Amino acid sequence: MKPEKKEILSPTKLVLPLNQSESLQQFESKTDEEVWDAFDKGNELAFNFIYRVHIKGMFRYGSQVTCDTALIKDCVQNIFIQLREKRGSLSKVNSIKGYLFISLQREIIRKLGKGKSFEKNSIEQNENFFPITLSHESILIQREKEEEKRGLVRQALNQLTARQRQAILLFYEEGMSYKEIAEAMEFSEVKSARKIIYRALATLKCIIIK
Amino acid sequence: MKYKDYDILDFLSDEFFIQWVKSPDKNNHHFWNKWLQQHPEKRETVMEAASIIRSVKYANSPELSDEMYVDAFETIIKAGKQKTENQPTTTSWFSFYPLRNIAAFFLLGFCGWMIHYHMLVGLQPEIPVVVEENTVFRNVPAGKKSIITLADSSRVFLNANSEIEYPAAFNQGERWVKLTGEAFFEVKRNGKPFSVFANNTEIKVLGTSFNVKEANKDLSVALVSGIVQVKDSKGNQVRLDPMEMLAIKEDGRFFKTGFDTLEITGWKDRILVFRSASYEDVKQKIENWYGVEMTLKGKVSSQWKYSGIYKDETLENVLRGIFITSGMQYNIENRKVTLYNPK
Repeated sequence: MKPEKKEILSPTKLVLPLNQSESLQQFESKTDEEVWDAFDKGNELAFNFIYRVHIKGMFRYGSQVTCDTALIKDCVQNIFIQLREKRGSLSKVNSIKGYLFISLQREIIRKLGKGKSFEKNSIEQNENFFPITLSHESILIQREKEEEKRGLVRQALNQLTARQRQAILLFYEEGMSYKEIAEAMEFSEVKSARKIIYRALATLKCIIIK
Repeated sequence: MKYKDYDILDFLSDEFFIQWVKSPDKNNHHFWNKWLQQHPEKRETVMEAASIIRSVKYANSPELSDEMYVDAFETIIKAGKQKTENQPTTTSWFSFYPLRNIAAFFLLGFCGWMIHYHMLVGLQPEIPVVVEENTVFRNVPAGKKSIITLADSSRVFLNANSEIEYPAAFNQGERWVKLTGEAFFEVKRNGKPFSVFANNTEIKVLGTSFNVKEANKDLSVALVSGIVQVKDSKGNQVRLDPMEMLAIKEDGRFFKTGFDTLEITGWKDRILVFRSASYEDVKQKIENWYGVEMTLKGKVSSQWKYSGIYKDETLENVLRGIFITSGMQYNIENRKVTLYNPK
């Protein structure tokens, strides 16, 4: 358990009438296309909604590529600033989350790569990206036999390439669909997202089945 | 290929299955529960796949601090504003400008409100003032179950041998319920937090469904949907995601696990579930469920385990199902069950 967070802002200063939050709720039932469209048309509540829903996830996703939190924050800010500037002529997206993820990944790698020659395919080149861990809490209470098995799974996970780990994390940790993975990993076809998951699972097969 | 022909790798690459594991909602939940009931032989594979899916985590997972959350928001909004100020203002920008300002004010306010709501609410567990407040008690004896609808239209499924207490003016003031025993809560969202107090622990929610079981000073909270925050008497605090269960032991130790929905919440739909249950587990469950007393003549091996699912069955049928297959005899007389094991 984490220690309690220190209060940073006095909540009383920032309390908003409830009806304001209710008008945000309108977006919860909308599709990504509709939310994005509203944002494109300059709807500030739509922007607020996107920020609220995705900011934490983006920050966490950025942490898979760098541990420099200040850099991640800068990149997230830049992405939103640029998006807001381009309102009115934004291109369509299939999945907001997938789009924000790939934008963030590009932005971080661009910043990390400044002055260096690597930029393309750098996920493949950097084997430290997207490390996977297996949740500790659930391992602890597993029966010993199963714990052994999980240890093996961990070993197998290390045999995956960074791109495969990325796909597996998007699939299991983020709960993304193949379509969203395709967007987040810049595959032009959803088929490629399936393929990379199948290949990753094939690597893990001998450990999973027994 | 049909789900019944799936092996573990098929489940591990199935979007609809993962969706259920990661974000169960009414639709997928209904399907998978029904499917599992029809294919009990697949249960182990499914549980194993679910457990693998749930255990995959980012190795680095820093939390975005509240400070950064607000600061980034402000930077983004202000960057837009500066731009408009420095640019030669066109009429169209100009007409937007005051609107933006107002929006920024509200958005910042909203930000704070969200932080207040999601992070700070629950940090100070106010023990409700029971003095001078009228409360209502509802209890259910062994052998019975009950559904109670509260004034805010939240529902409480109360299991056998359990009791709840809640304020008579439930909807006007704070929403809280004190629980002894086991209950399943379906909390309606109405903007006010809803707290369940059990075993010196506070479970705080907005709108969600979850199961709380308090027995022998142990407490378990299993979350089906939404978010709950659990705070124990020492101030330890844990947040649960859907399909996570928190167990707090008598000595204060706690851990999170996944859980099998049918096993944990089946009781509210009158489904009696045994999963590798020892004789003691079986005895306790049956006594509670049917309001009987069970005695054993002879011995049952500590290796003995029973798994089975009964929906709306009579005591007789359940006993027959469990014990006849194990070569034991039983006798029911006046709410007393006697079990004979000749071995």
